[in-house]
Amino acid sequence: MNKSQYLQKITIWNDEAARHILSRTSFGFTKADVDFALSKTLDDFVDNYLLKEQPEPTAPNYNGIDWTTAPNNTTNQTEYNNWFRSLVYWWLNMMSNPGLSSREKMVWFWSNHFVSEYSTVLVPQLIYLQNKLFRQYAFGNIIELTKKVTIDSAMLYYLDGVRNTKNAPNENYARELLELFTIGIGNYTEEDIKQAARALTGWRINSTTLTSYFDAAGFDNGTKTFLGQTGNFGYQEIVNIIFTKQPTAEFLCRKLYKEFVYYQPNEDYVKQLAEIMRANNYNLKPVLSALYKSQYFHSADIRGAKIKSPIELLITTVRQFGLSTDNNFLNYIRTKSGELQQDIFNPPDVRGWEGQRKWMSTTTYPARNNYTDSIINGVRISSLTYKADVVAYARSFQSSENAVQLVEDVTKQLIQFPLSKARKDSLLSTLLDGAAVYDWSTYDPQSKTRLEKFFKALMRLPEFQLS
Amino acid sequence: MKRREFLRNLGMVTGAGAVTFSIAGIPIKAFAQPFMNIQSISGKILVLIQLKGGNDGLNTIIPLDQYSIYSSKRPNIKIDENLIVKLNDLTGFHPALAQLKPLFEEGKLTVIQGVGYLNQNRSHFRSTDIWLSASDSDKYVFDGWVGRYLLKAFPDYPNVPHTHPMAIQIGSVQSGLFDSPQGGLAVAFSDPNAFYQLVSGISADNDPPPSTIAGDELKFLKEVAALSIKYGSVIKEKADKGNPQQDYSKGGTFGGQLKIIADLIAGGLETPVYLATLDGFDTHANQANTHQTLLSRLGESIKSFQADLDQLALADKVVVLTFSEFGRRVNENGSAGTDHGAALPMLLVGKNIQGGIFGSNPDLTKLDSNGDIKFIHDFRQIYATMLKDHFGMTSQQVNDVLLKDFQALPLLKSGITDVTYDIAIPNDYALMQNYPNPFNPSTKIQYSLPQPSEVNLKVYDMLGRNVSTIVNSYQSAGSYTVNFDGSNLASGTYIYSLETIAGKISKKMQLIK
Repeated sequence: MNKSQYLQKITIWNDEAARHILSRTSFGFTKADVDFALSKTLDDFVDNYLLKEQPEPTAPNYNGIDWTTAPNNTTNQTEYNNWFRSLVYWWLNMMSNPGLSSREKMVWFWSNHFVSEYSTVLVPQLIYLQNKLFRQYAFGNIIELTKKVTIDSAMLYYLDGVRNTKNAPNENYARELLELFTIGIGNYTEEDIKQAARALTGWRINSTTLTSYFDAAGFDNGTKTFLGQTGNFGYQEIVNIIFTKQPTAEFLCRKLYKEFVYYQPNEDYVKQLAEIMRANNYNLKPVLSALYKSQYFHSADIRGAKIKSPIELLITTVRQFGLSTDNNFLNYIRTKSGELQQDIFNPPDVRGWEGQRKWMSTTTYPARNNYTDSIINGVRISSLTYKADVVAYARSFQSSENAVQLVEDVTKQLIQFPLSKARKDSLLSTLLDGAAVYDWSTYDPQSKTRLEKFFKALMRLPEFQLS
Repeated sequence: MKRREFLRNLGMVTGAGAVTFSIAGIPIKAFAQPFMNIQSISGKILVLIQLKGGNDGLNTIIPLDQYSIYSSKRPNIKIDENLIVKLNDLTGFHPALAQLKPLFEEGKLTVIQGVGYLNQNRSHFRSTDIWLSASDSDKYVFDGWVGRYLLKAFPDYPNVPHTHPMAIQIGSVQSGLFDSPQGGLAVAFSDPNAFYQLVSGISADNDPPPSTIAGDELKFLKEVAALSIKYGSVIKEKADKGNPQQDYSKGGTFGGQLKIIADLIAGGLETPVYLATLDGFDTHANQANTHQTLLSRLGESIKSFQADLDQLALADKVVVLTFSEFGRRVNENGSAGTDHGAALPMLLVGKNIQGGIFGSNPDLTKLDSNGDIKFIHDFRQIYATMLKDHFGMTSQQVNDVLLKDFQALPLLKSGITDVTYDIAIPNDYALMQNYPNPFNPSTKIQYSLPQPSEVNLKVYDMLGRNVSTIVNSYQSAGSYTVNFDGSNLASGTYIYSLETIAGKISKKMQLIK
């Protein structure tokens, strides 16, 4: 593909295109979502549904009580951990019931960009407030978001901003702001970090209300020289200066590319996308709109090239098979997500999850297979059984009584990667289990067992791990 | 860059890195071992311990000779002088490492001082990548040094399957250390039995992936699946057979990692490289307790591990090496912690090592412009030493793995070196007049390096022709004496010339036959 075509809009709006967009912008989608998308034009669907601002959700609660505004009481870590779990369920629930909006995917993106860890912060109210901030700015202005994050209480705790004072600067946040959050390594000096740390001094957190505030007494009121500019800068000026620099938009677009396109950036594409980002003053919506409609994004190289994150794998099964989203089962999802190395709100470090091939090791690969097996076999949790109804699922396809077509349609629905004929043949023979193709019927007493074998085999395929 | 191009480029990187090691003149290091099949000699095992987050080397190995400077720079986090575990008059351990002192006294532990690299990067991620890939600070290499080593040691991979895994990582996320042009080469798991249960149901296939970027990802997934299927049962079998006796519980979950490794080695698994990880060293705030806990787990675990190996008569085979992405700033910060720094010590543990303290304490009056400790050995010299003297690779093979020639260090008993090397750090780059001069047929040349550098010591005739290359290697800071043999040259005046990162110095010498 010619570079000039990278960001041109695709001309064919069909089933494959809709599935590709949905697979990258959601945590899992249904056939109804695809049908809805195709009932609209590409522009209409992307701009007015996928990127639509949504009302703010009701805050999470634990046993019916909204804890999100509770004053701080760190003596009760057990209660805090209960609250925290209700926050995880709350977010998983929204990921599982997103409507057509891609907002929660962007909340996820920002939380894996401006990283904090619950296991360090330990105060669920703060993790909630940060998550809420990411939701407010899901498609919003990145400069504003960066400023808000810089004085966000969870971040001030996590990267030691609260300890950064005029007499005793702490470089932790300043370094990561430059290296991981905005301009990227290679575009600043160690001295810039020290100067930025000085400008970021003076921020404190009220230990009861948990809100952050500026304490002039702790602020370094002197002149700083940062990225070539000199003045008595505070945090706003530091962020503004960063966003005047050419590499910043490229760094952020590379990050978007890694999440939505592929983990090895195509630098020409990134540069073109960065131009759109600058031209729109770092408002995200036009950038995402261009990305999702672009020819390169829809090329054969990219479709099916992303390895699903654990959460994407888990929520995909919840959405496809209509599994329960009660707290009981969401706790199972949370546990599995941790086993698959994505413990929600606890990324491994300040870089967040690297994703793609780092999701897959000789341990996590078989563990994924064990999970998909488990929902077909049935999971028993506190005297309830959670199990995919494979017969009902098969019958949701018009082709349910035609084995060959059913394999075709089900694989198309569940697998983004173009499946080889050998694969489909092998799945068909698993489904038929020795029976003749014309004997296939979902009303056959053996069909349930056969469908269960078939779905287990299908979800064990390496292709199922791709999106 | 497309994945395919990317892999091709990797191939080029590896190929182009094959520096010819000249043995004209006197070899820097004799070829101690003849060329051998590494697999057959191997039986040797390297256990790498990654201290994630940047270990505070200065509170790990404390310079007693500079205690007053040390304590003035670290008023809140200094270790009390009377609590330091003295190794000798100059140097001591953090008290949490007390369990390792007996090993030090038995010559089974070496402190390698001042390890780092030129233009230290202070990002966790970039610096970790540099340590894992063994790249220069300004170069990007997309596979791991152990991955490249394993492809040399198992040249028929992946065509010929091996009975035992080439590398094992205790954990669930595969490290870049094992990345290679043939994919990741390590089996990663947290528990051998759980791993066996996990992989029992999965199956391999030969369906060829399409030649797209997406197809490359599918190929990768199939490789991971194949690795897990292949090794689940042998790992369980060996773990069941091995029976380590020591108590690792004081080492916490990290102790559990070393226990599994002891288990597998004792059971007879022929895997040459293991990786264990201890996380949490990024101590920006209130570091005292955290660092104490981490070092205590490290010390307790290594002590138990070495005791098991001794008891099982396996200690001859194994060395343990710690590493971390950087040390920390000499000055403490305002949060009773430390920010990111530069050089730091590594610990080497084993029976067949030289033991002791290798290199001098960091000079706290001569820090770099950032206030960090200067390096005196390049980290790849330690790798070169492991590859050459532990695994028995030839110099050429080591160069291929490490992408250039690094002078190995006399750390192992099997290390043979005829270079005379004084570890005292000189102030300047210098090239001395050769002695004797005039000479016939050989003479000695001395030079000094205030910091590690790539070194080229060459001899030219008066027409400017290079008649001999005496040294072509990356060397530690220190003073060196090498022999030059002019037996096959005619009488006359020759110029010898030292090239380092600081430039070129030349001198004349007279050969009279």
